[in-house]
Amino acid sequence: MKIFKFIISKIFLRKAILGIGMILLLCMANYITFTATRSILSTFQGYRETEYINQEGVYTANLDPNSHIDMGVISENGTQAVYDYLNNNFNYAFYTDGFIVSVPNSYDMKISLGYMNEQYYRLNEFELSQGTDLDFDYQLDGEIPVLIGKGLSKTYPVGSTIKIDEFVLGRPVTLKVQGILKQNTYHSNYYALNSKTYYNFSILIPVNEAFINNANMDLKLNGLMDIITLNTTKEEVTDLSKVIKDNMGLKFNFFSQQENYDYFNEYYLHSLKIIAITTFILFIVITCLSIWNALVSVRLMLKDFTINLLVGLSYSKLRKIFYIYFGILSFINLTVIFIITAFNRYGCWLRKDATFATYGLFGLIGMDWLSLLVVVLSDIIIGMVIVENMLRKIKKVPISLRVLQ
Amino acid sequence: MKKSLFRISDVLELCTAYMFCFFLNLLFNYVKIMDLDSYILKAFLKNFTDYQEIIVLIFTVVVIVFHYQMLHRKKTEIFCKMLVGDTIFNITIRYALNCLMILIFVCLLSTLANVYLKFNLISNFYLTFIFIIYILISAREVRKYENF
Amino acid sequence: MTKIIDLKIKEKIYKNKKLQISILNNFNLEVNAGEKIAIVGESGVGKSSLLNIIGLLDRDYNGEYTLFDSRANSLHTSELAQWRNQKIGFVLQESALINSLTIEDNIKLPLLYADSGKKEFKLEDFENVINAIDIESILKKKPLECSGGEKARAVFARGIIMKPQIILADEPTASLDVENRERIVNLLFKMNKEFNTTIITVTHDLEMANRYDRVIHLERRK
Repeated sequence: MKIFKFIISKIFLRKAILGIGMILLLCMANYITFTATRSILSTFQGYRETEYINQEGVYTANLDPNSHIDMGVISENGTQAVYDYLNNNFNYAFYTDGFIVSVPNSYDMKISLGYMNEQYYRLNEFELSQGTDLDFDYQLDGEIPVLIGKGLSKTYPVGSTIKIDEFVLGRPVTLKVQGILKQNTYHSNYYALNSKTYYNFSILIPVNEAFINNANMDLKLNGLMDIITLNTTKEEVTDLSKVIKDNMGLKFNFFSQQENYDYFNEYYLHSLKIIAITTFILFIVITCLSIWNALVSVRLMLKDFTINLLVGLSYSKLRKIFYIYFGILSFINLTVIFIITAFNRYGCWLRKDATFATYGLFGLIGMDWLSLLVVVLSDIIIGMVIVENMLRKIKKVPISLRVLQ
Repeated sequence: MKKSLFRISDVLELCTAYMFCFFLNLLFNYVKIMDLDSYILKAFLKNFTDYQEIIVLIFTVVVIVFHYQMLHRKKTEIFCKMLVGDTIFNITIRYALNCLMILIFVCLLSTLANVYLKFNLISNFYLTFIFIIYILISAREVRKYENF
Repeated sequence: MTKIIDLKIKEKIYKNKKLQISILNNFNLEVNAGEKIAIVGESGVGKSSLLNIIGLLDRDYNGEYTLFDSRANSLHTSELAQWRNQKIGFVLQESALINSLTIEDNIKLPLLYADSGKKEFKLEDFENVINAIDIESILKKKPLECSGGEKARAVFARGIIMKPQIILADEPTASLDVENRERIVNLLFKMNKEFNTTIITVTHDLEMANRYDRVIHLERRK
């Protein structure tokens, strides 16, 4: 430890610019690795979540990108006719969210309402930390059983009621807390699997036929955009597409399991490949720059190392010192990455951004920790490459020649 | 060339460092105007393009390291030249001019590339300005090596 | 006898944040053209500092210095540089060579800063110097490929290539064998005899010092 302190304070810190340069380069390598890993993990997480739509007989609705929504043409009756057709001929999963309401809570967060029918609920298999499963057989004028996120559980424990002005029904309703969702339960965007909405400050409202029939156009239209038909055939969804076109003037596409797979391979996998390759190239470039920086350090500190080697420092001890030094630099960088991530995550709490607020140490969730682990691994690789190169460079010049230098 | 502190290898090294930074900046400008239809890629790249200036600035550390190690390596040369009739003022001016010439060459190449690709030149000039500051700071450091 | 150096130093101070050292207190030195002077004294007493002051490398001291009838403090830096190039030759330790240049380029370095007329003249002399010191075989080598003795001879060659009026040598023979030491000293004395060159040498070798016209003992202030 004495030797380590001496070498760090008398050799490395005397040329602090080189150390700072190394920290900044490592920081970039870490940031790139961290961001790429998180993107890839988040996309795979989203893909796993949506695996249920990649099943035989399941078709996912997508509004044709060339189709233009003309609200003047879409009528209440036309939309209802589509839902009547759906109710009579299909088994379908309905889900929509993003309706914001003010519900008093201990964090002063705006609360997001999510609406789902029984099929969607069964498909997703939401995990609860408290309470019981949702009941979809309720009366609209009575208490509606709901699931709430962990962030609301202190204010509204299981069994308590929440009174809100229900926007989609256009009247006040009483919600009864049936269960508390596990912390950090999320929903991935079908069109951007790496983008997520967290349910920590959400209320999930079960919707049944009566609810949809009484709801306003916003709910019906938004729900239709992501509708998932189950146990269906291509012909049946083609007919449904025609019904939507006739009644609402919108062109809908329905994608099958195979089409979803193809889409994933073509779109997501391709994007992930590009991310991985780009990251790899950048990682190599930064590693090369770090090696250059390290060799420059050796060139400037050669005399100091040599004198220490002359008076008894062994190469193995020097290697150990280098590894500890890079360990410290990596630790500094990891801390920086941790702080940036925590700042982003915790920032959601400070900004009262309910859809992104997460639970964990400073809001860091599983994929953040996993990404940090990958960063540690990448640092070990860079550290090994750099330290071994430095030692090789030092050993290459005979001590006698170095003394002359 | 002999009066200069720069050898061919030093010129190439500094050229590469400048080129790397300008190329990185160019790459950012290119990524920004790329018409990507992949949300994942867009979201991934946004993590970098949003911080273009900071990231490029961080990478300019390679130029700082170059200046630092260059002067450190040349301290004997500076002293020897002083002994045989050079002045610290002339050495400093020559050093700064050499750096500036290399910078202007790389900056011109980068400007041409930016103009050809119809990119905004502001970030290019901003980077040049930063490098000029580095040159001026490092030129001030030359006098540190006046005495052996 | 022409007086070429008239140096009166009240004190030279080295200081940093922690301590301050004062050397060369009330030190006076007058040197005539063609004199051979040896400076001796224990380490840290200010021998090399004195050489730096005489050689116009250091003007940060309390005192007055007249060199070739000009007040050193009033000279412009470009004039100082010209004097170091034309009138003063430095023979310092072997490490004062540029590692990236060959020995030949190192020796010819002063010619780079000389005016063109003189440069031609010195190039003619180059061969003579090389032969006299016997370093022809290492001309194409880089300093790191040479022995300590070879480097010391190269430094010496660079110091005398311009045939300066004053040669300032800081232990020029410390790393040389007897044969090469004699060769260098003889060459120094030959230059002194032929060109009336003034030689000021810092040395620890008292036997060597006794061969000079005058020996100056520097002592630490009690």
